[in-house]
Amino acid sequence: MSKIKDLFESGRIKSAFIPYFTLGDPNYNDSIEFGKTILDHGADILELGIPFSDPVADGPVIQRAVARSLKNQFSFDEIFRVTKEIHHHKKETPLVYLTYFNPIYHCGIHSFLDRAKEAGVVGLVIPDLPFDTKESETLFQELRKRDMDLIHLVTPASTKKRIEALKRTSTGFIYYVTSFGVTGERREFSVDLKERIRFLKDTIQLPICAGFGISTPEQASQISGYADGIIIGSAIQRIIEENGQDFPKAKQTLAEYIAKIRASIP
Amino acid sequence: MGKNQPGYFGEFGGRYAPEILTEALEELESTYQKLKKSKKFKKELDFYLQNYVGRPSPLTFAERLTKHWGGARIWLKREDLNHTGAHKINNAIGQALIAKFMGKKRIIAETGAGQHGLATATVGAMFGMETVVYMGAVDVQRQNLNAKKIEMLGAKILPVTAGEATLKEATSEAMRDWALNVSTTHYIVGSAIGPHPFPTIVRDLQSVIGKEARSQFKKQNHKLPHAIVACVGGGSNAIGMFHAFLKDKHVAIYGAEAGGLGPKPGEHSATLTYGKTGFLHGTKTLIIQDEGGQIVPAHSVSAGLDYPGVGPEHAFLSQTKRVDYRMVTDEQALDCFLEVSRIEGIIPALETAHAFHVARDVAKDLGKKKDLIICLSGRGDKDVTEVLRLLGERSK
Ligand SMILES: Cc1ncc(COP(=O)(O)O)c(C=O)c1O
Repeated sequence: MSKIKDLFESGRIKSAFIPYFTLGDPNYNDSIEFGKTILDHGADILELGIPFSDPVADGPVIQRAVARSLKNQFSFDEIFRVTKEIHHHKKETPLVYLTYFNPIYHCGIHSFLDRAKEAGVVGLVIPDLPFDTKESETLFQELRKRDMDLIHLVTPASTKKRIEALKRTSTGFIYYVTSFGVTGERREFSVDLKERIRFLKDTIQLPICAGFGISTPEQASQISGYADGIIIGSAIQRIIEENGQDFPKAKQTLAEYIAKIRASIP
Repeated sequence: MGKNQPGYFGEFGGRYAPEILTEALEELESTYQKLKKSKKFKKELDFYLQNYVGRPSPLTFAERLTKHWGGARIWLKREDLNHTGAHKINNAIGQALIAKFMGKKRIIAETGAGQHGLATATVGAMFGMETVVYMGAVDVQRQNLNAKKIEMLGAKILPVTAGEATLKEATSEAMRDWALNVSTTHYIVGSAIGPHPFPTIVRDLQSVIGKEARSQFKKQNHKLPHAIVACVGGGSNAIGMFHAFLKDKHVAIYGAEAGGLGPKPGEHSATLTYGKTGFLHGTKTLIIQDEGGQIVPAHSVSAGLDYPGVGPEHAFLSQTKRVDYRMVTDEQALDCFLEVSRIEGIIPALETAHAFHVARDVAKDLGKKKDLIICLSGRGDKDVTEVLRLLGERSK
């Protein structure tokens, strides 16, 4: 059984907290510490961003994080080294990568997956790789062979037909994009969020985790009431951005924030 | 969508866009399929092309240039004479009509040299649509005349400061805007790039260039030319010029891409020469990238060629060797810009000047009594200030 499936079926949690941050921001070694801090204070699954120069699905905060990361020499060796360190800190927490397809393709799908698995990664989220492409099919097959998950994004604009169609190649959980546009903190969510998530749950027999725009404990508490998990990226990345130069403070602020969000989720 | 399905050119093309855009792309595709067959749409498009753009554009025999270069006879397909001064308007009008048909009230665009932004702002004004143009902050500077015109036409320019602040970043930002406003907005992609169906729509709308050129040449000379040349940024004027000739196996086809300052990564935009297969802005194509699969910033003296990717159909035509793509450096383009202006009385866009350089070599190789058509993609007014600046630097 995949590690993510195991987590959701274990009954250990009611709703998962899935934080995200970009590896290499402000540098690779600090990333290791940020990862450990987040794990220590309550992540159920941790999403690690592999930076890509042109993140079209991301808003300004994550764009800037990626740009800061890429000021360091990008290398897959570093990415896997850092991931491994984070993984060793707390082996039971599933790690997933979020990245765009170009770096994976360039690295070579087989080699990328072998190395990712070895580093402790159990799933992938790729915002620019639709499920109905040849590459997505290939990736799905290869992931299955390694007992890893392909986590698809579903959006408020996804039709019933598409949702039905993506069932066949989705595993782990569904990443439900709560709003139109790109990542970034938001004050309001679409009114039918709850209904959409319920509909998704009925259609796809997978946990539905909501992301894009969540930042406050109140939002986390509310949405985790009906979603199987919540994903927070920009708010975390902002803490790193605002305190990244002052490492102890960044760590401290991050720890407090993560603990607060975790506490707000049932 | 599989490998042999619509939207692919060999292994290139396809739709690799964020899920939030899929619905809009499918709607665009099905709308376009319907409109393509509709007599009413064709009539309306032809009406605007004739009465607003000023088509057909002339095919001019360049007598002085022919003599000066001493090789094949040179013909110019005059897209510079279109309203707004470049081929970009062919596409902007067509897509604005499609947007209107879909009931979209707002149009957005990305622009490098400003010609596509200008064309979009123009059709936005004409059709009374709210228009927003994303332009790299660097390009707002070096193509300031166009930036000013775009604003004068009532469109809003949003300068993009991320990354290199040029066409690549402007494209990313336009995609993000589209993701946010997809129900009210149509994104008029400015070149034969992007997720399916954009490369096909843009190619179809631009293929008027080659169709006209082919029949004009045939009418005047009772044969086909020996060679045709166009410059390639994203590749819209080129694919528009090439398409009608692809099946004419004896017509040699050349594309000119930006060799920039030299072969080092970051110094050029020579995608077809140095690019590797990858995924950018919704399409699978050749891209200039590093060992980590990160996109390498492009450079060209001409803002319109300054893009690290290329339309997927060009990637395919390069792979099959139907088209011979060659690099032209900034210096060579600048020299041709001046030469063509003095000799022929036509100031070409810096983008087009790249095509002239390739054409000069090809004309020499072909020799006398052969014929060569250059797609004169646009006029150079927008580049005058930048060229003067560059000449000033050169004389230092
Ligand atoms: C005059 C002119 N020619 C060529 C280009 C390059 O675009 P494409 O390769 O899509 O024709 C541009 C782009 O702005 C342009 O303004």
